[in-house]
Amino acid sequence: MDPLYIKLALGGLALLASIGLFFGIGLALAAHKFAVEVNPKVEAVKEVLAGAQ
Amino acid sequence: MKKHAAAIIAVFLLVPVLLIGGCTKPRFIKKGEFKGTDLIVLIFAGPVDPMWAEDRAHFTVNEASDPDILLDIQSVSLSPDRTRLTIALSDPMNQERPHQVVVKDILSEGRNLGTETLTVARLYFGYLFGIFLGALLIQNFVFSKYLGLCVFFGTSQKKTTAVGMGITFTAVIVFASFMSWFLYQFVLKPYRLDYLQIIVFIGLVSLTVQGVDTILRKVNPALFKAFGVYLVLVIANCIVIAVPLILADNEYNMIESLMLSLGAGLGFLLALFLMSSVRERLDFADIPVSWRGLPIAFIVAGLFALSFMGFSGMSIF
Repeated sequence: MDPLYIKLALGGLALLASIGLFFGIGLALAAHKFAVEVNPKVEAVKEVLAGAQ
Repeated sequence: MKKHAAAIIAVFLLVPVLLIGGCTKPRFIKKGEFKGTDLIVLIFAGPVDPMWAEDRAHFTVNEASDPDILLDIQSVSLSPDRTRLTIALSDPMNQERPHQVVVKDILSEGRNLGTETLTVARLYFGYLFGIFLGALLIQNFVFSKYLGLCVFFGTSQKKTTAVGMGITFTAVIVFASFMSWFLYQFVLKPYRLDYLQIIVFIGLVSLTVQGVDTILRKVNPALFKAFGVYLVLVIANCIVIAVPLILADNEYNMIESLMLSLGAGLGFLLALFLMSSVRERLDFADIPVSWRGLPIAFIVAGLFALSFMGFSGMSIF
């Protein structure tokens, strides 16, 4: 293998991983900051129901 | 207070536009424009030498993207006041693309003014409008490219759902294609990763939808309720992935890509609205049992596609 190709592939991998990490952290922060209080009973009722749909 | 902030931002955006507009270099060739299908008209700031203008070797014309392929010039003629020069080409040009005209050793009243290069293009606004109209009607993503059909048939049963889906879709596609344009131009292309564009765009679209979903839920619950389930459905639409790929293929700039995505979104809205209007009426029509529901909807979609073919070849500018 040409070392240039390996360099390109590794660079791409690192870049995409960093983009993914960046956006992932961004989304996590957004979810934390814009969190909406949901009544926990709603989830509990949903758990108990049959839930075919 | 909020209004003031908006005004200040608008002024800040306006100033660079005015500055860029004022910084044009003075040139001897004032203007170049297309005329008919095979003529280019150049307007000079002063009278030029007729003997110089007669020699065809002083002019070369080529498409700006292929400088190696010179177009064949049939004749060059000068107007009586010696400021208007018409270059006639042997073959019609593709005026969608900008053309480059090189004028060598301009002779004006005994003085050699050197060589000038000029790019002749259609009115840029007309070009932008052409992209918009192309995505909206001529190359409508649903009716002439057959993309996004699953969501198209799924949400076109009632007018209200259709319009809700269309508006949500337009908002998301404009945002997502702007993001993917940015990522393609400034990250993927410089690092030669453009072979990964499909994976990156898919991730970006779902990320955009997730982000909009999270933020909207808190910031504007009323709008979130109006968007409802459609927001999540947008992820499964192929138009929203086709538009970034087209942008990347055509190397559009920011405004052009905005126009294409807006046209695609509004075209989808139009298609959904038309289809839902028909399907609401089909409920009351006397259709053979085996054709009810989806089969007749497919036939109607085919008829719409046929009628949208009537837009092909349309141009306004």
